[in-house]
Amino acid sequence: MIKKIKGMDPNLKFYTSKIESEINRGISKLCILAIINQNGDKGIHGYQILKELQKETGDAFVIEEGTLYPILRKLEEEGMIRSQREEIGRKKKFYYMTTYGKKVFNYLEGFLSKLIEAIAPLFDIKVKLKIEKYIFCPMCANKIEVKDVIPKFCDVCGYNIENEIRKRGLKIE
Amino acid sequence: MSKISKEKMIKEFIKKVKKQLPGWLKERKEHKEILDELEEHVWQKATELSGTGRPTLESVKKALTQIGTPQEIAKEYKKRGEPKIYITKEMWPLYIKVLGIILGLIIALNLLNLIIIYLTGQVNDSIIGNAVNNIQLGFLYGFTIVTIIFVILSMEGYFPEDFLSKKKRKNRRKAIELAAKEGRPVQPADFLTSEPFIYPASVIIGGSIGLIIGFLLVFNIFPSFIFTDTFLYFLEIVGLLLIGESILNILRGIFGNNYPERHQVIHVLLIIIKILWMLPFFYLLNSLYVSSFFTEIFMPPEIATELIDDFEVIIIIILIIIPLTIIEDIYKIVKLQKYIKLY
Repeated sequence: MIKKIKGMDPNLKFYTSKIESEINRGISKLCILAIINQNGDKGIHGYQILKELQKETGDAFVIEEGTLYPILRKLEEEGMIRSQREEIGRKKKFYYMTTYGKKVFNYLEGFLSKLIEAIAPLFDIKVKLKIEKYIFCPMCANKIEVKDVIPKFCDVCGYNIENEIRKRGLKIE
Repeated sequence: MSKISKEKMIKEFIKKVKKQLPGWLKERKEHKEILDELEEHVWQKATELSGTGRPTLESVKKALTQIGTPQEIAKEYKKRGEPKIYITKEMWPLYIKVLGIILGLIIALNLLNLIIIYLTGQVNDSIIGNAVNNIQLGFLYGFTIVTIIFVILSMEGYFPEDFLSKKKRKNRRKAIELAAKEGRPVQPADFLTSEPFIYPASVIIGGSIGLIIGFLLVFNIFPSFIFTDTFLYFLEIVGLLLIGESILNILRGIFGNNYPERHQVIHVLLIIIKILWMLPFFYLLNSLYVSSFFTEIFMPPEIATELIDDFEVIIIIILIIIPLTIIEDIYKIVKLQKYIKLY
């Protein structure tokens, strides 16, 4: 963001943009995963990922085009996502979440949500987690969707979440 | 006209990106897919920027400027490893391993040099000092060259798996896909199961050939006028050892990619046989001046004497090769330990 600003003190610009890049690096990966996850079985291609990211964040969070594809490639290499080319038309490459990717993403989503909630007072901001929609594992912060029936154990760390489920009057699998 | 220029402009851009891509990526078929995807991206961006639903020459130009330079795009593919003192964390274990091998080889070569000096009777007071100096100097050169190579490889984004064969890389890819499908992270054990530690067919074929040659040597198939009795006796011993080694290799093939502990035991037995292999060759080296290989009928003594030096060189080469194969067996024993943990 700061890179675009002209006429700034170069030293300040250099330092702030460096920290900005450090913060963005991890978040970029997570945001890409979030968009791929949102698109589920429909899948999504690279260009669309950037467009949706711009739309969802109101242009506040931008991933450079040159950065997107190496990240997608790395995520695929790590088994987090898989890709498939269109069989007809321009043969665009669509990306989908793998079972493993979904599991990791659920955890990272939970971790980030809890982290933001915890550090929010430091920046004088208010964060409200959607606890009516999700249970956050007390042990690892894994994000578990509230459904009719919920498994007794967290699928990431294996912690018994029976108490959390009972507190909300939900059924245990 | 406009269409050709647009396409040409994009193709030129893609060509430049391809040129800038790191070597490890260019070697893979995958780079074509990356470039196709990038091309598709440019077309979509240009279409959107034109605002007319169709890309124009101007919108293509604008899209290419916004996407970044070919150098910038390619640079992202080089940012692959985690930095650790100029060499990435991923390349570090391989770097240490290569340095270890270099040091081992330098020490082994110097030890062999000492043995040859001792055997040829050219011993003097400074040989130990010289050997130590040679090891230090050799390692210094080796360390410098290897470090420079690994820094460059790290800057280019190489990973150790980029040096694996296509087949092994494909197996690894399958292991990652399978683990992802099962919803779990890929483990080193997944790679081990995808990479067999032995190719049974080739080991059994090799062992069988060795077995036939061994029997031919033991049963002395050579006409009696060719070799001297001493050399025939030597060939019989070599034949017996070859039979032993071949049987062990056939057994390895039969066990296949199972029972890593049994494979380890076989490698220990192979090491013993290989040490025994060296004894007849040492004997031959020492008896070169008293007896020659060939009978006087087959080769006159004056010619045989002239050839003595050549025979000596051949025997020394064999005596160098045998310890190297012993090192290979030791390496395999260590490597098999990983498979034992897996089974």
